[in-house]
Amino acid sequence: MKKIDRKDFLTLAGGAVAGGLAGTVFSGAPIDALQWLVEWTQDQYRPLDGREHYLRSVCDACPDRCELSIRMIDDRAVNIQTSNSACPVGQNALQLMYHPERIPQPLKRDGRKGSGKWTTVTWDQALTDIASKINEKIQGNKRHLIAGINKDYNLTSALLDRLIAALGSKNSYYEAGLEAITTSSLGGVPQYNFENTDYILSFGARILEGWGPSGSLLKAFRGWKARGTKLVMAETNRSRTASMADEWVPVKAGTELFLALGIAYVLIREKGRNSGGAGFANWVTYISDYTPEQVSSITGVPAEKIREIADAFNRAGRPVAVSGRGAQGISSSSAEITAVYALNSLVNSPAVTLKKHTGLGTPPMSQGAAQAYSSAEPKKGLDDFIKNGEFELVFINEANPVHRSVFGSDMKTKLGNAFVVSFAPLVNDSALYADYVLPSLSFLETKTTAGDAAVAPYAQARHAGQAIIDLAGKIEEIRGAFNWQSYTDLIREGSALGAAGNFAFNNESLKSQITLLKKLLSEDRNYPLSLIPYELPMLGDGDGLAFPYILKNIDGNTYSKKKLWVMINRQTARDQGVSEGERIDIESSRGEIGSVRAHLTDTVAPGVVAIPLGFGQKANTKYAEDKGVNPKEIMNAEIDPLTGNADWWLTRVKID
Amino acid sequence: MEHNEKADITRKAPAMHRKWGMAIDLDKCTGCGNCSLSCAQENNLPMFEDDSDIPKRVFYLDLMKVTNDRDAQYPNVGVVYIPKMCQQCEGNEPSNPKPPCVSVCPVVATDVGDDGVVSQIWSRCIGCRYCQASCPYEARAFNWWKPDYEGRFKESLNPEVSVPARGTIIKCTFCSHIWKRERDRAVANGELDINAVLYTPACVSACPTNAMVFGDLNDPNSEVSRLSRDARAFRLVHSIDEKPADEQKRLRGIKNYPNPKVYYLTSHQWIRDMMRFK
Repeated sequence: MKKIDRKDFLTLAGGAVAGGLAGTVFSGAPIDALQWLVEWTQDQYRPLDGREHYLRSVCDACPDRCELSIRMIDDRAVNIQTSNSACPVGQNALQLMYHPERIPQPLKRDGRKGSGKWTTVTWDQALTDIASKINEKIQGNKRHLIAGINKDYNLTSALLDRLIAALGSKNSYYEAGLEAITTSSLGGVPQYNFENTDYILSFGARILEGWGPSGSLLKAFRGWKARGTKLVMAETNRSRTASMADEWVPVKAGTELFLALGIAYVLIREKGRNSGGAGFANWVTYISDYTPEQVSSITGVPAEKIREIADAFNRAGRPVAVSGRGAQGISSSSAEITAVYALNSLVNSPAVTLKKHTGLGTPPMSQGAAQAYSSAEPKKGLDDFIKNGEFELVFINEANPVHRSVFGSDMKTKLGNAFVVSFAPLVNDSALYADYVLPSLSFLETKTTAGDAAVAPYAQARHAGQAIIDLAGKIEEIRGAFNWQSYTDLIREGSALGAAGNFAFNNESLKSQITLLKKLLSEDRNYPLSLIPYELPMLGDGDGLAFPYILKNIDGNTYSKKKLWVMINRQTARDQGVSEGERIDIESSRGEIGSVRAHLTDTVAPGVVAIPLGFGQKANTKYAEDKGVNPKEIMNAEIDPLTGNADWWLTRVKID
Repeated sequence: MEHNEKADITRKAPAMHRKWGMAIDLDKCTGCGNCSLSCAQENNLPMFEDDSDIPKRVFYLDLMKVTNDRDAQYPNVGVVYIPKMCQQCEGNEPSNPKPPCVSVCPVVATDVGDDGVVSQIWSRCIGCRYCQASCPYEARAFNWWKPDYEGRFKESLNPEVSVPARGTIIKCTFCSHIWKRERDRAVANGELDINAVLYTPACVSACPTNAMVFGDLNDPNSEVSRLSRDARAFRLVHSIDEKPADEQKRLRGIKNYPNPKVYYLTSHQWIRDMMRFK
């Protein structure tokens, strides 16, 4: 064997190094390293790749039942398309489902109420403890102090209503949304056939901005122009719906009720129309004062215009008159809802029917429960309950009365003294005061009428309806009333609509509302201005604030850099000595909200301050917390006798 | 071997016939915001701790709320939402299509493709921001900060769109990755003609009222082409469109007009008035 001398050694070593270098260069490793360096220095994130496929599903969030096509990468959903793509709920589902602050498993309070300190517990521990608290109430004869508060009418709310009833309480309430206040005013929810109407008369209902069944509404809107459907919008400020309407009827702040009465007067007295419904004869005598001339002096709408609208409404074949002021944060008095519905009834419009949520019926009850149930005297509505009711154990199903009710601060105090169970996917302002927060699902994780859920539920989150069935199984007394294994057995029944009872004219409510409204509208030197709410696209009355992609849409004249802006009429601002961008405080008889900026614009009426809803939350994830102020704190809190909810649309204020 | 014309990849690629454009009917736009939400989701737009912070946030599609309240008084006012994204300009000169942003880019990070779409290649961009300054529509955004997709938000990211790096310019590309996806699918089915495939950007497919229409401006029968010739159509801050033809020609000879491919339609004169330089 040849001895390796120094020269050979150097040749070999040099060759090895050269070969290694060449190999490294040609392997592409330097490119990879450079790529890595680029990514590392720029701190860039690379989305995960995977197998692409599409899933079909149905959104059961509302009666429209939009078909969905979900683009999946492995088991991750990355895009949703709907058959009518009409609803931000659908588009926003991904942000809710993948929200970093989703609650992974049941939370038990660990600290004082509202501190936001939690420990995680198992479902079994949570439900067992809640069941024992319920049993304490049953044994302590405190059935009437058990309550449930829902956000919307759906499967879960039907189950919660059943749970509350089975325990012998009638304290089942719904947040004062469109369905809740129309149901308590009319005995049902008006179903408007927007697809097939020729004349729409809206009393402050911003029907193109997320109002009511927005999916089917926007779908119907596509055909209005071709069919010659006319939209007439009576509203104080120039909203987008008012801008898109064929005709905008500017009314003085808060006077929509009187306009409806004026039109009813013309239909009855000048067109000879008549309506069914108990109490109609009496109602007619009450409204006999509201001649077009009289109404004109209240609303600022010329008498001829009132006659013209009444005439067009009378001549239309399938007209609809729509009530429920606002887009998502709805507020109207029962008198107004009744008066507007009466217009449909007077012309006997085939495009409007009254339907009612059937729920799951009255459950079988134990003797104790039946006794308590029959003697229970529930409040008319949620605000009434918060203000005047009593409770020691309350379930909050997705609702957020602490933020959305004008009695939010009363609610905080009462929740502080009660045992509170909250169903929610994210900890909102009301869940902050809960003893237990039970994580619920986003709709993509829910089984639907079309079949299985598109995406597996996050961590241990559970359908709230399932949680209620599971809880009932742990309570000896009511187990029999919940003979279902799974919420999926009830998907079709939960949100069904049935025929409503006969609608009646409530003259007491009309009388008291007119008195209240006249007081509110009369000149008040202490509070010369009117405060009226408005809502931003997608943000609605506050839920949207938790999502970054919705925050991107907020315009600089509403909220930016921790400053909330309100809109004031140009001339009114001049009279008040307020200039553009100035910091002002707004004060009503209920209190003061401070440090908002004034944006001067003639899209709001003289004498009006328009303030956005949804801001001023204390929780609802880090994205929503501590942004702006919540105007509900100072808004009008007179409770409507029929809806049991405050009519907070119009508040008399002054600015500093 | 049997000659299969369709699968013969050595064959010369057919010339591009498409010229993508968009028409947005403002009379139909309710300002619902679905377009902007869907755009952000599709394009992995950077999230920050507070996206309501206007100087910091980044978006492709700006849902502008526009009113005429400077000139009109209550109640003669109007409110309109104008979805505004990159207008995909191509300049005056057809043989050398260069909008303002492309003319100034020192590193060819942005260019006009033969399909008319103004591209933007994140990784080429050196962040000089010339294009942002030159854009008449403020359609380009600069990533001052590192995107912060907190926690599980990462799981909803679209793998077809790379997450832009800090220190670069980003903008709307008419979702051209969706077109690429559709083309890839067509190729997998043996269809090699690049002109055979149509697609819909995320904003357009999310529009509930069909206010947004997308398609081929070169095809005279396409809806977008028809709408671009509608009497209600106008282009943002492009008042040269309103001048007589010979005057237009003269002006084009002395100045580079952006010549955008996004058309807006309205029946309100005040919107046209607001959207032009006075």
